[in-house]
Amino acid sequence: MKFIAAGKTDKGVSRQNNEDNFCVDEGLGLFIVVDGMGGAAAGEIASRMAVETIRNQVKLSAAGHEPFYGNYDKKFSEASNRIASGMRLANKAIYEASQSNVAWRGMGTTVAAALLDGAKMSIAHAGDSRIYLVRANSIVQLTEDHSIVSEQIKRGLLTKEEAESSEIRNIITRALGNAPSVEVDLDEIDIMAGDIFVLCSDGLTTMVADDVILSTVAAHDEPEKACVALVDIANKNGGKDNITVVLAYLSGEKTFSKKFKNLFGWHRRE
Amino acid sequence: MSKVILKFKEAVLKEIPLDKESVTIGRNPGNDIHIDNLAVSSFHAKLINQRGQFFIQDLSSTNGTFVNGRRISESVLNNNDDIIIGKHSLIFVSPQTQEEDKTETLKIKKPAMGETIIIDPKKHKAMIEEARAAGQAGIGEKLGGFTIIEGHTDKREYELSGRLVTIGKSDTSLIKLKGFFAPKVAALINRTKTGYFISPSESSKKLKVNGNAIEGRYELKDGDIVDVANIKMQFYIKE
Repeated sequence: MKFIAAGKTDKGVSRQNNEDNFCVDEGLGLFIVVDGMGGAAAGEIASRMAVETIRNQVKLSAAGHEPFYGNYDKKFSEASNRIASGMRLANKAIYEASQSNVAWRGMGTTVAAALLDGAKMSIAHAGDSRIYLVRANSIVQLTEDHSIVSEQIKRGLLTKEEAESSEIRNIITRALGNAPSVEVDLDEIDIMAGDIFVLCSDGLTTMVADDVILSTVAAHDEPEKACVALVDIANKNGGKDNITVVLAYLSGEKTFSKKFKNLFGWHRRE
Repeated sequence: MSKVILKFKEAVLKEIPLDKESVTIGRNPGNDIHIDNLAVSSFHAKLINQRGQFFIQDLSSTNGTFVNGRRISESVLNNNDDIIIGKHSLIFVSPQTQEEDKTETLKIKKPAMGETIIIDPKKHKAMIEEARAAGQAGIGEKLGGFTIIEGHTDKREYELSGRLVTIGKSDTSLIKLKGFFAPKVAALINRTKTGYFISPSESSKKLKVNGNAIEGRYELKDGDIVDVANIKMQFYIKE
C-alpha cells in the first residue's frame, strides 16, 4: 500500500536540549520515535544510537545479510521480528556504551517503531512513547506505556484521567540501554486504506489530548503540515518536554465527498 | 499505616506516620519533617503516597537524597529502604498488607514535570510481586468475544483475540457486515491489558451500549449489549 509520511522534532519551550529523535525511511516503510534520557548529552547519544541501530538492523535483515538478534517469535511475522531484533541489538549497544563511559552511565531511551509489511503494520515499543491509529475518524492507542501509572491503571488503582495528572507519570518501567537485555512488546495490525499512524514522544501526549491529535491529523492531507500543527499545539500548551511526532498516511480511496470537495475548491480558486 | 523512622547516626529521633498524600522534608520549619541541620536544604525532599505506593522525590537539594546508597531524583520506596538526607537517615517502614492505604481517597495535584526516569529493574520486580501478593494482578488478560443476537454478519460468534478488531464492511473487518448500506467501518475494538474498549467511527454516529448512546471510548463489560449499524450483539468474557 502506498503512503506519505513525515516527522518533526522540537525541543519544546522549557528544555535546553532535544533528547528525542526520529526516523522516517520510506524505502523500508520504517517509522521510529525515540525519547532519550540521561545526564549531560547522554540522552541524545542513547536516542541516536537507537535510531541508527534499529534502522540498520531492519535494512540488513530485510536484505538477508544479517541474522536475527535474540529469539525469533513465531507468533509474529518476519517483519515484526526484524524490528524486535533491531531493538534488542540497540539495547545491547547502548548498555555496553553506558558501561564503558562514566558520563554515559544510566543513559537510555524509549522506542516506538512501526514497519509496514504488505497488508500489515508491525508495531513495537518500550517505554512511554506511543503509537496511535486513526481509522474512520476514530483514534485508538495501540501501545500501552511501560510506566508506573500505566501499571496502576491495569491493576484498577487509577483511572486514565487520574493518571494523566499524576505526579509520577514520568517514571517508566522499561527502556533501551538500562539492562543487559530488554523485553520488546510486539503487535501487528491489519491495515486499511486511509489509515493514519501516529508515533510520538510523551512531550506530545502530555500536552495534547487524544481527541485533539485526532482532529488535527484529520484536518490535514499532508503529513508535514499536520506534524507542524501538532508541535505548535504542544508548545502553546506549555511545551514542557521535547516534542516528536511521525505521521504515516496510508493512501485512501477517493470518496465522492473528497472529489466533490476538490471540485469545489477548484471553482473557488477561479 | 506506613511510616518513616528518623535517625541521626544510630540514635532514633522519632517516628513519623505517613498519613498524607505528600510529606515534605527540609530545614525550613514549614516542612512536615523538619530537620535542623546545615547539610539539609530548606526544602529538601518529598515523600509521595500514590494509592498506597510510596515514592521519594528530591527537590533539587544541594547535597542530594540517597536511597540505599544511591543518589536519586525520584525513587519508589520499599519496606526498610534507607533514605539518607545530609547526616540524617529515614527508614521507610510499610506494613505487610496495604489494605488500609487503598481506601484513602487521593486528591491528585498538579503533575511535576520532571525528567523521564527509568525505575530500577529490581524495584520494579519487587513492586510487581507485591501487587500480585495483594491480589491486584492484571484484569485484562481474559479473552472476550461477541455473540450476534440480530443482524447480518458472516458469523454468529466472534472471539476478540487481536489487538484491534474492526466492525464494518471492509475486508479488514473481523466482524463483517453485509448489505449495501452497511458502513465500511462501524466501530473499532481495542484490546488492552486493562480490558476491551469500543469506539464508534464517524460513519456510524449511533453506537449504543445497553440502550445508551456512546460517544468516544467505552470499556466493555461482561454481558453488555451493543447496537451498531443494524446489528445487535452481546459482549462476553470467557472464564
